[in-house]
Amino acid sequence: MKFSASKEKLLEGLQQVQNVVSTRTTLPILSNVLLQADGNEVHLTTTDLDVGVRGSFEASVEKAGATTLPARRLFNIIRELPSSEISVDIDGKNAASIRSGQSYFKILGLPEEEFPPLPKFENAKSVNIPQKALRDGLRKTAYAISTDETRYVLNGVLFSFKDNKLTLVATDGRRLAMLDIELEFPRSHEADIIVPTKAVTELQRLLTDDGNVKVSVGSGQVAFDLNKTLLVSKLIEGNYPNYKQVIPGDAKERVTLERETFLNSLRRVSLLTSDKSNSIKLNFSKNNIDITANTPEVGEAKESLPVQYKGREFSIAFNPEFLMAPLRALGEDEVFLDLIDEMSPGVLKIQTPFLYVLMPMRISS
Amino acid sequence: MPHRADLWQKLSSALKPQVSADTFNRWFSAVELSEANEDAITFRVPNNIYQFWIESNHMTALQTAVLKALGAPRQIKFVVSNGDGDQAVEAAPAAETAASEIKTGRNAGGLNPRNTFDSFVIGPNNEIAHAASLAVAQTPARTYNPLFIYGGVGLGKTHLMQAIGHFVCAKKKASRVMYLSSEQFINEFIDAIQHNTLVKFRKRYRQADLLLIDDIQFLGGKERSQEEFFHTFNTLFDGHKQIVLSSDRPASEIANLEHRLVSRFEWGLTAELQPPDVETRMAILRKKAKSLQIKLADDVFEFLANRIRTNVRRLEGALMRVASFASLSGKELTQEAIEHLLKDILQEEARNSITIEQIQRRVAEHFDVRLADMTSKRRPANIAFPRQVAMYLARELTKASLNEIGDAFGGRDHGTVLHACKLVKKRMKEQDNIRQTISFIDSSLKR
Repeated sequence: MKFSASKEKLLEGLQQVQNVVSTRTTLPILSNVLLQADGNEVHLTTTDLDVGVRGSFEASVEKAGATTLPARRLFNIIRELPSSEISVDIDGKNAASIRSGQSYFKILGLPEEEFPPLPKFENAKSVNIPQKALRDGLRKTAYAISTDETRYVLNGVLFSFKDNKLTLVATDGRRLAMLDIELEFPRSHEADIIVPTKAVTELQRLLTDDGNVKVSVGSGQVAFDLNKTLLVSKLIEGNYPNYKQVIPGDAKERVTLERETFLNSLRRVSLLTSDKSNSIKLNFSKNNIDITANTPEVGEAKESLPVQYKGREFSIAFNPEFLMAPLRALGEDEVFLDLIDEMSPGVLKIQTPFLYVLMPMRISS
Repeated sequence: MPHRADLWQKLSSALKPQVSADTFNRWFSAVELSEANEDAITFRVPNNIYQFWIESNHMTALQTAVLKALGAPRQIKFVVSNGDGDQAVEAAPAAETAASEIKTGRNAGGLNPRNTFDSFVIGPNNEIAHAASLAVAQTPARTYNPLFIYGGVGLGKTHLMQAIGHFVCAKKKASRVMYLSSEQFINEFIDAIQHNTLVKFRKRYRQADLLLIDDIQFLGGKERSQEEFFHTFNTLFDGHKQIVLSSDRPASEIANLEHRLVSRFEWGLTAELQPPDVETRMAILRKKAKSLQIKLADDVFEFLANRIRTNVRRLEGALMRVASFASLSGKELTQEAIEHLLKDILQEEARNSITIEQIQRRVAEHFDVRLADMTSKRRPANIAFPRQVAMYLARELTKASLNEIGDAFGGRDHGTVLHACKLVKKRMKEQDNIRQTISFIDSSLKR
């Protein structure tokens, strides 16, 4: 196998797939990238057996063929090469000679037969989603994924295809983010799948603002086909909890907040929280919120935020990090905060179908 | 049961003021009291979101309510009901089958029925380890958690661990006891990675009520296994489950073991098993002979106990060999006959008989002084002390008389040797690091 390509194209191709490669692995082949040269393209594939990515780049292929090479090392070499034209020549023993300008590298690979093939998705039910909508949706929900491995069903994002709607849900038991995307698909394609965190992270990197992504659900597997790149992942087995139970009933008070102003105030006040007293208090009074933090033996902070508010006076405390996370992820200028009382969860909403439920912290006084 | 309903009534009235009405209706109205005993209260919830959400957000309130209603804190557990309805959780039955597999498969399979507390011979070398093990077996996860047992080959680590396992199994049939070597743990972990069944793997270990891991030193240098074990350890520890570990050396001396693991291993009680003294060896032989229904003369026991000192397993092997020889050949057991019979074992033991010169060399090497200093007249502290240590070891490990030792150390008087032995003994008692150094040299000589 022999091909030559420009440095940018090769680097771009490797960047798409190399994140999947795990550094610590028991199987040496999994730290390699599979290269398949054919026509005027070279396909690249990586996998850690849970998540696999397949991409490609343009190249002038002199001799078709396939091999696997250590991904990290190949990436580091290509990145450092000075010249823009790179030629790669692989001999019968899977050793690659890389030439570019004055540089010459030889790296040893493994035969392609050892590389585990990505699962096939024949006859799988698939749904098309605009890439932009999915990217936006994942950005607004993925931060709420649980990292607690004992609750493994929460270590991912729920994709619920139902009633011509895709609902994305992530929760860690203290907060929950949920978002709807309107779609059209036949009733027979309705499904609930839990996509693991790693696949979600990779997917967010691969999604662009244009075109569609075709989601195919197989048994225990899912594939995201983004035209030129393909991401496949195992699904988390088990039932996602009934998230609707978490969403509180009718709100008593609603405040409209300027997202950025609110976020900046929170960030400033949260400077005076600590690991031990990690809570921030919102004190509502007529047309005003006082945001305060008070840490014994450290100090206190207070910031006033003028708002439209005519409800009763009360205080509620939140974990600042949990309150700031959605504010960072959202792009809208205005957000709504719905509250019932100091012990009931707060709900953050925007104009479009999104909501974020956050449990308050106990106010000790 | 009316009693249970009463209790739930009491609990809910204690709970109501602590949470908002909405929270109560939403989360606690559907909760049932499934079981309550002196240690724990188990609540039945309709599906897993109840458990997740209550655990994350309302545990303090629930604990306070329990304290109020019952007057004492209890461990709070949840079970997800498997009843009908669209949210019936599949994971629950799966977990149950896995658990029952452990129950039936493990309790009987992993443990050797001979290794019980009854068959363990207690001597001054192992009484602490034995007492700690018994305490752990009687009240798991209450007294010493984790229990870390260490000692050389064939001194009874495995015996004690399995005895704990048997005891707990016998006392409470339903408890999930897992006994395995760290190597098995590593292999299963690698297997789980390969077949992508980590979740199953975790579930299997993290649901144990008593986890016994033998030869934990093999975890050294295996980073990912250590990480996995770390999490398993934490889960079990936080869930008040007993963990017992054994190793051939103290946790701090296991090479390439992460500090966070070392510190956790040292958290509970560390018990050392030392080689048995001659009386204990006699007792072991007699007990073993009785259990195997072997009858031998007292001088045979004495001979074996005196000549085989390092290892209980070897001692038992020698006993077996002598006994089977006696019953098969029917000949009388003379000293020569036994010596001939156990030629290889005795040679092996004899190879361990140590010369004064070896001791001097080893000590000089350890303290980084010249071998010539061992016999020279010079006596600055940095030379004199190693020399005294060497004399002490020579007195302990060889049969040489005080005079012979004195001669070997450059013609010194027997009083000098006696003084050295007393001094070293005293300092060993006073200073831990000296005791450790000397026992280290001691064991490296015996190797």
